[in-house]
Amino acid sequence: MLNIEQLQFNYTSKKKNSKNTKDKNYPENIVKNTKIMCFDLSVNTGEVLSLIGPSGSGKSTLLKLIAGFLTASNGKIEIEIENKNEAIQLLQPAKRPVTMVFQEHNLFPHLDVYTNIALGINPSLKMTMQENEAIEQALRSLDLENMQKRSPGSLSGGQRQRVALARALVREQPILLLDEPFSALGPAQREEMIGLVKTMVEKKNMCALLVSHQPNDALLASKWTAFINYGRVVKMDETANLLNKSGLEEIENYLGS
Amino acid sequence: MHPIQPTRTGYWVLAILALVVLAPLLSLLAQTILIRGESTGLPFWQSSYIHRVIFFSLWQAFLSAVLSIVLALLVARALAHYDTFLFRGLLLKLFGLPLVVPSIVAVMGVVSVYGSNGWIPLGRSLYGLNGILLAHVFFNMPLAVRLLLPVWQLIPTHHWEMSEQLGFTRWQQWRHLEWQALREGLLGISLLIFMLCLTSFAVVLTLGGGPKSTTLEVAIYQSLRFDFNPSRAALLALLQFAVCFFVACGSSLFHKLPDVEITLSNTRLKNKSKNQVINIIIILIAFIFVSMPLVSMIIDSINSSILVVIQQPKLWFSAILSLFIGLAASSLAVITGWLLLDTSSDLAVLGRKRKASLIEILGSIVYVVPPLVIVTGIFVLLSPYLSVFDWAIPVVIMVNAMMGLSFVIRTLGPAMRQNKMRYKSLCDSLALTKWQRFKTIEWPLLRKPVGLSSALVAAMAMGDLGVIVLFGTPEITTLPLMLYHQLSAYLMPSAAVTAVFLLFFCLLIFWLLEKLIGGK
Repeated sequence: MLNIEQLQFNYTSKKKNSKNTKDKNYPENIVKNTKIMCFDLSVNTGEVLSLIGPSGSGKSTLLKLIAGFLTASNGKIEIEIENKNEAIQLLQPAKRPVTMVFQEHNLFPHLDVYTNIALGINPSLKMTMQENEAIEQALRSLDLENMQKRSPGSLSGGQRQRVALARALVREQPILLLDEPFSALGPAQREEMIGLVKTMVEKKNMCALLVSHQPNDALLASKWTAFINYGRVVKMDETANLLNKSGLEEIENYLGS
Repeated sequence: MHPIQPTRTGYWVLAILALVVLAPLLSLLAQTILIRGESTGLPFWQSSYIHRVIFFSLWQAFLSAVLSIVLALLVARALAHYDTFLFRGLLLKLFGLPLVVPSIVAVMGVVSVYGSNGWIPLGRSLYGLNGILLAHVFFNMPLAVRLLLPVWQLIPTHHWEMSEQLGFTRWQQWRHLEWQALREGLLGISLLIFMLCLTSFAVVLTLGGGPKSTTLEVAIYQSLRFDFNPSRAALLALLQFAVCFFVACGSSLFHKLPDVEITLSNTRLKNKSKNQVINIIIILIAFIFVSMPLVSMIIDSINSSILVVIQQPKLWFSAILSLFIGLAASSLAVITGWLLLDTSSDLAVLGRKRKASLIEILGSIVYVVPPLVIVTGIFVLLSPYLSVFDWAIPVVIMVNAMMGLSFVIRTLGPAMRQNKMRYKSLCDSLALTKWQRFKTIEWPLLRKPVGLSSALVAAMAMGDLGVIVLFGTPEITTLPLMLYHQLSAYLMPSAAVTAVFLLFFCLLIFWLLEKLIGGK
């Protein structure tokens, strides 16, 4: 179980005196150009929680706070590891039990597929026999056999994202953060990838968060979905309910239904 | 309806350029071939003097380039990692100065700080290889920093984030992120600096020049002005041309290779290294290294001879002549540059990209044929028929305009092309005349790069010593030449005053032109 409680972040925009009307909607907007974001949510082990919401609403910020690329000013991130709850909000990014997969730039273009995955285990690239075996297995389970020596540039978009998932697999970290990883892919490939992610999350008992702009992705991937707007979780519900009968104007405006 | 034709003005510019480059080159060739028959000495490939000169030219350029690049990498990395540094903008402005500061002034500054009597003496004497390297690093390290620093912004933010998540060490970050981004551009920048050092004149003239440390450029000058040996000058000039030609061909081989994922992220990287102390130290040392010579020059100039020098009418005549040369060369460079780019950007918009870039490369021919080679050619070509010294001013203007042209092409070219891409169809559909286009679209949007390049060309021409020193006479003296005469006569206090006068004069003109032409 991943628990996020009152996780707060003050975002100060660099543009001075920007007249962004959206900003008015952020709560406690006392200092000019500062958005105060505050998140509360939880993810069950073995499940993918989808995050939907307009751009600029704070979805990616939330993932960066969990990964540690941004530092929260307040609040708690707790993850259950071996039946113990551990607070991780103060750790360095490298020390957090997290793997993040982005929309692009997941792979280093000068390294081959094998090395890109191996980096996830140990950046000095010294692998043990078991670790090599784990990489082989990850490649097999993601349909990437015999691709070890290929360079990322020679792969298709879908293959590249599968390599990124293979790395997430071998890292064996309990938290998986997916920041629009399938946006560049076509519908059929997206469905396939979501299937792979779901299997992986279930098998490895991960807690996953998926940011997506496609309501359909949420339906496929998640039992539960959260709608985020103006830096807070507006509503968290079973995906179908949230998408179809939330009764909230905010959500209907976003979905355009 | 017939297809749209690109403007032809650029071809005219190229034709004139070809005449100006080819005629001197051919005259050099003729001179060496004709003289060969009656030559009594050894052929050049057996002359140990020429061996030495060629070796030293290449060796000092190689060392200067390597030193400048290595130091620039350190400084650029420190600046990239510490991008919240308070005086970052100021520092980068300072690093732009060596382009504008006349090289002879900078050499004096370097000597006064790092010379044996200076504040921070480095080595026993700066006359020779040490001094040449130091001065070249002073000029080229800041240039390299300014060229390298933007590369850090090409590294995708996600790669930084991933490197944090995977727990990369600083060395691993360097190896997998920074080095990968830097290496494709590095060779090109190194070769550019190598080329600049190979053709550097004032530095070697003032700090080298002895039999042990003479480059081809300075040897040409010595053959012409001291030994009165035009045929050897011609031979040396051809050798210099050949060397530059090979280096330029070499550098064209190393064009950028296309990247895998080319989308850029503009997000700034922040606190990538926890320990900023090393970065701060590196930045401070770089700041001191570049600023000290200028500060020291200014302090040196405050001496008793200040009033005497300032009251000399000769100083003011030279200043006016320098200003005239600067403005004339700059206008010539900007006008020809504009005409040439008008054609090349038309071609680019029409999809004929190769032809467009060929025109721009030919316009920058001065990279391959160093100015001093052209000047030597003109000297050899005209000296039998007329007194070349009477033609000093036009030649100085022309050659500096040619150097400026290559600069205008680089600064204005991309902006002009982009402008055409965006607005050409719109202008065509509104049926604007050429003049209307210029007035309403091109001038307002392009005056900024025009201002910058004209200011730079003017400052460089005003500080140029290489051409005028060949042709100058006691009557025709520009400020840098006057300074050189004072230095040769060991009139140090006066020289210091003249140097600072020249420095501020150049900076003033640079600033004025950039503001007046560039607008807000």
